[in-house]
Amino acid sequence: MKVFMTAIAVVVAVGAGIIVWNAYSDRPAEPWLPPAVVRSDSTDGKTLYMRDCAWCHGAEAQGTGRGPNLTERANGTAHIDYVLSTGRMPLDSPDQPMQRRTPIYTQEQIDALVQYAEQQLPITGPAVPELNTTEADLGLGNQLYQVNCAACHASTGIGGALGGGGESLPLISRKAAILAPDLFEATPKEVAEAILAGPGTMPVFGPETFTQRELDSIVDYVGRLTEPHNPGGWSMGRTGPWSEGAAAWLIGLTLMIILIMWIGTRSTE
Amino acid sequence: MVRKVVTWVDDRLGASRFTRDVLAKVFPDHWSFLLGEIALYCFVILVLTGVFLSFFFEPSVAESVYRGEYEPLQGVVVSDAYRSVMDLSFEVRAGMVMRQIHHWAALVFLAAIVVHLVRIFFTGAYRRPREINWMIGLTLLTLAMFNGFTGYSLPDDLLSGTGLRIAYSIALSIPVIGTWMAFLVFGGEFPAEQIINRLFVIHIFIIPVLIAGLLTAHMALIWRQKHTQFPGGRRREENVVGERLWPTYAAKSMGLFFGVFGILALLGGLVQINPIWLYGPFKPAQVPSPAQPDWYMGWLEGALRLFPAWEITTFGYEIPNPFFPAVLLPGITFTLLYLWPFLEAFFTSDHKPHHLLDRPRDRPMRTALGTATLSFYFILFAAASNDLLAKWLRVPVENVVVAYQILAFALPLATGLGTYLIAKSLTKREAEPPGAAPETARTS
Amino acid sequence: MKTPAQTKGIAAAFGVSVLSSIGLAVVYVQGGQTQLEGLLLGLALGGISVGLVMWAKHLMSEGEVVEAREVVPLQTDEREEVAEAYEHGAEEIGRRTFLSKWLAGALGALGLAALFPIRSLGVGPEDSLFHTAWRPGTRLVKADGRPVRPSELPPNGVLTVFPENHTHDADSQTMVIRLPTGDQIPGPDEFSAEGLVAFSKICTHAGCPVGLYQTQTRQLFCPCHQSAFDVLEHAKPVSGPATRPLPQLPLGVDNEGFVIATSDYPEPVGPGFWDRGRG
Repeated sequence: MKVFMTAIAVVVAVGAGIIVWNAYSDRPAEPWLPPAVVRSDSTDGKTLYMRDCAWCHGAEAQGTGRGPNLTERANGTAHIDYVLSTGRMPLDSPDQPMQRRTPIYTQEQIDALVQYAEQQLPITGPAVPELNTTEADLGLGNQLYQVNCAACHASTGIGGALGGGGESLPLISRKAAILAPDLFEATPKEVAEAILAGPGTMPVFGPETFTQRELDSIVDYVGRLTEPHNPGGWSMGRTGPWSEGAAAWLIGLTLMIILIMWIGTRSTE
Repeated sequence: MVRKVVTWVDDRLGASRFTRDVLAKVFPDHWSFLLGEIALYCFVILVLTGVFLSFFFEPSVAESVYRGEYEPLQGVVVSDAYRSVMDLSFEVRAGMVMRQIHHWAALVFLAAIVVHLVRIFFTGAYRRPREINWMIGLTLLTLAMFNGFTGYSLPDDLLSGTGLRIAYSIALSIPVIGTWMAFLVFGGEFPAEQIINRLFVIHIFIIPVLIAGLLTAHMALIWRQKHTQFPGGRRREENVVGERLWPTYAAKSMGLFFGVFGILALLGGLVQINPIWLYGPFKPAQVPSPAQPDWYMGWLEGALRLFPAWEITTFGYEIPNPFFPAVLLPGITFTLLYLWPFLEAFFTSDHKPHHLLDRPRDRPMRTALGTATLSFYFILFAAASNDLLAKWLRVPVENVVVAYQILAFALPLATGLGTYLIAKSLTKREAEPPGAAPETARTS
Repeated sequence: MKTPAQTKGIAAAFGVSVLSSIGLAVVYVQGGQTQLEGLLLGLALGGISVGLVMWAKHLMSEGEVVEAREVVPLQTDEREEVAEAYEHGAEEIGRRTFLSKWLAGALGALGLAALFPIRSLGVGPEDSLFHTAWRPGTRLVKADGRPVRPSELPPNGVLTVFPENHTHDADSQTMVIRLPTGDQIPGPDEFSAEGLVAFSKICTHAGCPVGLYQTQTRQLFCPCHQSAFDVLEHAKPVSGPATRPLPQLPLGVDNEGFVIATSDYPEPVGPGFWDRGRG
């Protein structure tokens, strides 16, 4: 018995160790003092920018060793509005993964920061898009979503895992996972902004890639897709055949086995 | 009235003696002997619901613009196969529930077969004289898997189309004949127009007929050889102890049929399965994520994901990577399974007939091999959803792959060893109190 | 054993079933509703199930029955008779060696001839696995058939394209990518056009579309079996089961300003096969 318990313990420990190591190995090596990102009543864009953003992105948005230049590539007010309204920015530390959180700022503060960036910073990327979903075509949006978005965000909108970077020794890789987020919390504006700006590792679909109507249609379809309406019943998180298999075993077959244990005799004596 | 019917039939068929024996036939009633019956009734339900579905399905990839009930698909060009399944789901009354019961029944059918197989294995029920029925059972398992896959592919949605794409690539990977085989099976280069129609014929006719035939043979052999039973009580090698078919066993068995159907109906109505309206129609340049097959194909998908980037190239010819995990592995798996009763008889020199079952603990070696094998295939199965696990744990998917690659070897060793030691210690503990040793306790 | 309580229980189970069936009929007539249908059908069937099993367990008091089982050897005497009967017939045939050889020949020839219809199942592979629909000068078009201008792709932009007039050709699907300024453009110079590069979208492992592009790592990722391809390293596989790079499509721009292919892929696209080296 002892050998057995030891063997199980070793396997469990190795497995758990790998998972825990990878989950936490992207922590910063040394403590880092974040700029004091605090809720405050200030609604002045410049005050907020200088206090919470400039430390990493520079006073002229030119970037520093801690954060990227905001005047290049697809960085524009669309991107800025996106990261602020999804709570991805500001980060507590530059090593923190960017993911959806409760926004730090009020809508008024976000608007002030976006306005400040638009008027005072030399940014060139796409601006916050105007949407007009009354002209949208759901079927067109569906097709464009399937071609351009579904590979990463899933046909069902649940998001997915992407490659982690292909380290030669993945077990000791210090890279965080690269994930495509689910779309269930995204507002129509955020969806459009993400398409134009390509936040994180997402490709950029510039103003020339989609027409306004195509953009509106994709946004409309995403809104429809993420409605919690599942005509077949409980969706089990829409994780596909995996959860269906689990349900077949854990609900279907398990109930049937309980049934036959009731029908048949249980003792072999 | 009963007498009149019996007389009428016997005058013509002389079947009274047979029918008398049928009604008085004795069935052992341990619950685990009903696992196969769950599978049997799932098949019956699959046929019943499948007939309904086949009245609406159109096995054609001819394209038209969708104008049905499901609004977000309006204006999208879809195949007739996909459209007919959409119409069945959204416009045919009770169509959705029928379709979902059918799919759930398929998943549970395979699960019940596997658990039944596991029961047969761990209790040694395949030993002489039941080797033939073991092989028939295995054939039923492969046919059920194959029919599940063909059914999963019929709606021509994005998820199943991707599965077909992989199946085509696996066929291509077979040495020498692979390209010809892939082209002849699919009717040309992927995605050929014939394939949905061919899968339809295979799914609703060829394989169900084979399954029905082999199921009949499977049960006829049980009938002829009589059921095995656990030792204990009045049960001996030369008798069968249980309940008569009529009325007790028949009532229970019918109760099981209605129960199985009822559970599948609840699943079919309350839990969504295969939402093809979300996956969308198959377009060769699109891909769903996460892309997975139904669970019973998971071990092959997992093997494809875990097998390292190796392939063989010699003299200008190559054996591509998918051949090893997706052709060679299942080939070896099923060869060993088919040969198992003979291998065990050879290695244990036990060629005697057995009608009394083993308790797993009394055969520690077999039981350990069984759990080790099961844990290996379980890891392969789990690896088929490595991307979902990576997403939930927020770790790179490559790391999950490496962890599974290690577990695929470590876990079987650990479970095999652990099982062996537990079985040994259990029999030892039983042997200790004087006079309490069961008559069947023996070492292998 | 017979108690009124059990009788009542069984009757109640059948009663639930009757009511559920009536409910099912009502729901159906009202236009149907998937969840209610499943629930009521489940209860209708489950009621019968519970009633029958309770009946069998509690009210059928036949108890345990023992039946004899024949144990091997079974019918040993008849074995010799079977063998003899077979040999007797086989001898009849075997004596006519000349004729039985002809019969074997006829059956064999018929068997061979009967195999030929298998060939009708589909066209042979011929050269189709070695080339795609791309030709020198073919325009890149999107799924809806519209041609592509280089300006449509911003840096870090991607697009799935097909050869013009071949948007249904699965083998020709291609990913066009614009790398951000500063990246080393992969592949020979003449393969890229105005900063655009294009790779086959078919995974070299099992043929899934390699549809996931990550702009930070410049990697294409296959969602089926998790192969990743490094675009900066001419799409060579960096992790997962794929063994070969994604073939690169040589690009150009025609005089109307649309992106074109300057030739077909230089090697077969997609998963490997036995004689891939032949091309």
